[in-house]
Amino acid sequence: MTYFATLRDIAGKKEEQWDEPAATVGELLRGLIARYGPKFGRWLLDKGDLKLAIVLVNGRDVRDLQRLDTPLAPNDTVTIFPPVAGG
Amino acid sequence: MAKMLTIHADKCTGCRNCELACSMGHEGSFRLAATRVHVYTWEREGFSVPMMCQQCHDAPCVKVCTPHALERNALTGLVMLDHAKCIGCKMCVQACPFGSAVWDEATQKILKCDTCGGNPQCAKFCPSGALEWTEDLVSVRDRKYAFAAKLKAAFSE
Amino acid sequence: MNGWTGRILRINLTNGNIGTEPLDPALARDYLGARGLGTKVLSDEVDPTVDALAPANKLIFAPGPFTGTYAPSGGRYNVVTKGPLTGAIAAANSGGTWGPALKYAGYDMLIIEGRAAKPVYLWIKDEKVEIRDAGHIWGKIVPETSDAIRAETDQDAHVACIGPAGENQVLFACIMNDLHRAAGRSGVGAVMGSKNLKAVAVVGTGAVACADKERFERAVLKVRQMIHEHPVGGTGLRLYGTNVLTNVLNQTGGLPTRNFQDGHFPTADKVGGESVAAKVLQRPKGCFACVISCGRVTKVTQPKYKGEGEGPEYETAWGFGPDCAVDDLDAVTKANFLCNEYGMDTITMAATVACAMELYEIGAITRKDTGGIALDWGNAEAMVEMTRLTGVGEGFGKKLGAGSYRLAASYGHPELSMSVKKQEIPAYDPRAIQGIGLNYATSNCGAAHVRGYTISPEVLGVPQKVDKDTIDGKPELVITFQNLTAALDASGACLFTTFGIGAPELAELLSALTGFQYTTDDFMRCGDRIWNLERMWNLRAGLSSKDDALPPRLVKSPIKTGASKGAVSRLPEMLPVYYERRGWDANGVPTQAHLRELGLA
Repeated sequence: MTYFATLRDIAGKKEEQWDEPAATVGELLRGLIARYGPKFGRWLLDKGDLKLAIVLVNGRDVRDLQRLDTPLAPNDTVTIFPPVAGG
Repeated sequence: MAKMLTIHADKCTGCRNCELACSMGHEGSFRLAATRVHVYTWEREGFSVPMMCQQCHDAPCVKVCTPHALERNALTGLVMLDHAKCIGCKMCVQACPFGSAVWDEATQKILKCDTCGGNPQCAKFCPSGALEWTEDLVSVRDRKYAFAAKLKAAFSE
Repeated sequence: MNGWTGRILRINLTNGNIGTEPLDPALARDYLGARGLGTKVLSDEVDPTVDALAPANKLIFAPGPFTGTYAPSGGRYNVVTKGPLTGAIAAANSGGTWGPALKYAGYDMLIIEGRAAKPVYLWIKDEKVEIRDAGHIWGKIVPETSDAIRAETDQDAHVACIGPAGENQVLFACIMNDLHRAAGRSGVGAVMGSKNLKAVAVVGTGAVACADKERFERAVLKVRQMIHEHPVGGTGLRLYGTNVLTNVLNQTGGLPTRNFQDGHFPTADKVGGESVAAKVLQRPKGCFACVISCGRVTKVTQPKYKGEGEGPEYETAWGFGPDCAVDDLDAVTKANFLCNEYGMDTITMAATVACAMELYEIGAITRKDTGGIALDWGNAEAMVEMTRLTGVGEGFGKKLGAGSYRLAASYGHPELSMSVKKQEIPAYDPRAIQGIGLNYATSNCGAAHVRGYTISPEVLGVPQKVDKDTIDGKPELVITFQNLTAALDASGACLFTTFGIGAPELAELLSALTGFQYTTDDFMRCGDRIWNLERMWNLRAGLSSKDDALPPRLVKSPIKTGASKGAVSRLPEMLPVYYERRGWDANGVPTQAHLRELGLA
């Protein structure tokens, strides 16, 4: 897991090993929100669906894959940006 | 309870939306030479401060105004300018220590903040919260005086 | 008129003539202002084959109808001329507060012709216009120029000026205004220097009028709300500035590294927006009427790279950072300050240093050429020194001042210049992002990202996510963005309002302000019209479809590492479709039918 921008401040870290089981991106995000709280969550999910956050699995944007249903494998790298970018 | 425009200079981005809103509200056009609020920007350091009439409790402009065009309204706490009585002597311009009474050559009038009748457009259009229309509470007034003291110190250097 | 002032100021520096003329409302309606109106004037008055640095070239400063009003983030102006770097049309866009000052002084455009016999500056206060001696100011860097001119004109004068780079005609010299804002690309500063014009100082006490005040205020408040609610326009840009993109591009594998040898840089985070916020940022800054505040007021205290000012923006941080394999934020920030002080485009400067580093890597240049400096990848001190030498015009800096194409060509390796039409490619690798590559190849000013910023949909997902690696639909996407941006630029609005609003809202603002009614289609058609006019000018200047090309590396050599490993640009497949969708023939020439539709034939 790697976090950027405002997510770093909320999680208190830039990166970590995520050991809790998560078969899909959706499960992973819900796990993250459970750990880091709604302040983390409001950057990511809006009414249960992906907001403008950029979630990459092994460098690929999940919005080009299966969004929240994108499957995850044990050694995948997940990178999350809150929707702050532009320019 | 009176209200006041509180300046949070640390939040000012120098965008001048306040000046634009003031101009449109009072003049019906965008003429920044005729605003009642002015933003000063120190470009090298990137620091900006909006300034307008402080509606002084003990206003020098009121003291020097012979036709009594400038009078303080005790209820609202505002120093009001009656253009009908104003003779254009510009003593208020001389007297105001903040430079907030301004003579507009184009319209031959004194320009001074009137808080848009209690609905200040500058605060409404400020995108960063640098101008806030707040209750005139003791704590807020202390903060304002602390800020004014910084200005005084800047001039004394 | 409403929105527009209705007047144009024309100054001939050769004979000293100063005059005003009315703005034709029909032209205003069709070309809006800024980039659009400037292009129309250039098209009508300047022979496209002229030498960009000759007196026959004209330099046009033009704000838009929004400029000087509270159209949200609508205070911009353009400098339009023939670009010395590219030989193509140049329209450099800048913010700050200078553009509105010209409107308040009463002018929609300032057209500068000819060449002064000795250094001069212009002092414009409403109808009072003077050409003044600038001999005692020539040679000064931008901040000192501004101070000197204000001291002899007005303490609150808004100053647009060149630094030593423009005076020495560095081909990518820019025009700076309000100290830190730049009309950056294509060498517009060199044109100003070639005219012996040091600065334009403006004070305006007039007004910009509004046709329908209630309608305009309603539209403005609605637009402000939409931008405020948008995560990028409303929050992200204020917190992190544009440089938040460094990590985004790196993680998607599209961060050009070492002169585009690769698309991923392991230590990119050290020069990204998060690091800027943590280490050098003082506070955000907004241009005139801005509600977004993406500007970064910054300061470096470390003695080696001490300085203060604004920036670095994303392109700048990328260029002096990963493109040169440098990860020292203070050094990157210092290089940015130097560019602002000497008046140079940061993208071209950085990409030229990167190109020089590659030439050094392969031994095409050595320490003999560089004056003893080891131009190794990642050498932050060397990168800063090269920037400084270019600014002052000494040593190897003199060679760098011609830009990467001429530099590389002079050492026998033009293919190592990562440029299009000799203008350096910005901070998004076209191999990793297909649409932006098409935009680089077809932008009329040379490689440019803002002209058709498909990064928004392809990487950020704004307004919708589009797969960055596909080519289907990309020509249409690029065309839509290019047309929208051309109209937006011409109106005086800032591109970043598109993080929040689109053509319908811009058309509504324009209609309420000017009194001319624009539908969304009308607005987009203005953009199409401007785009085609620029294209026609370029064709007359001698450019052709062979100039709509990317460097061979980007079409043939796959990215080596990172998330987009293995990718190349599929420009050759997209280009014919682009021409066709644009209403052009197979050679990229606009058809008569299409030009007639736009009122250009």
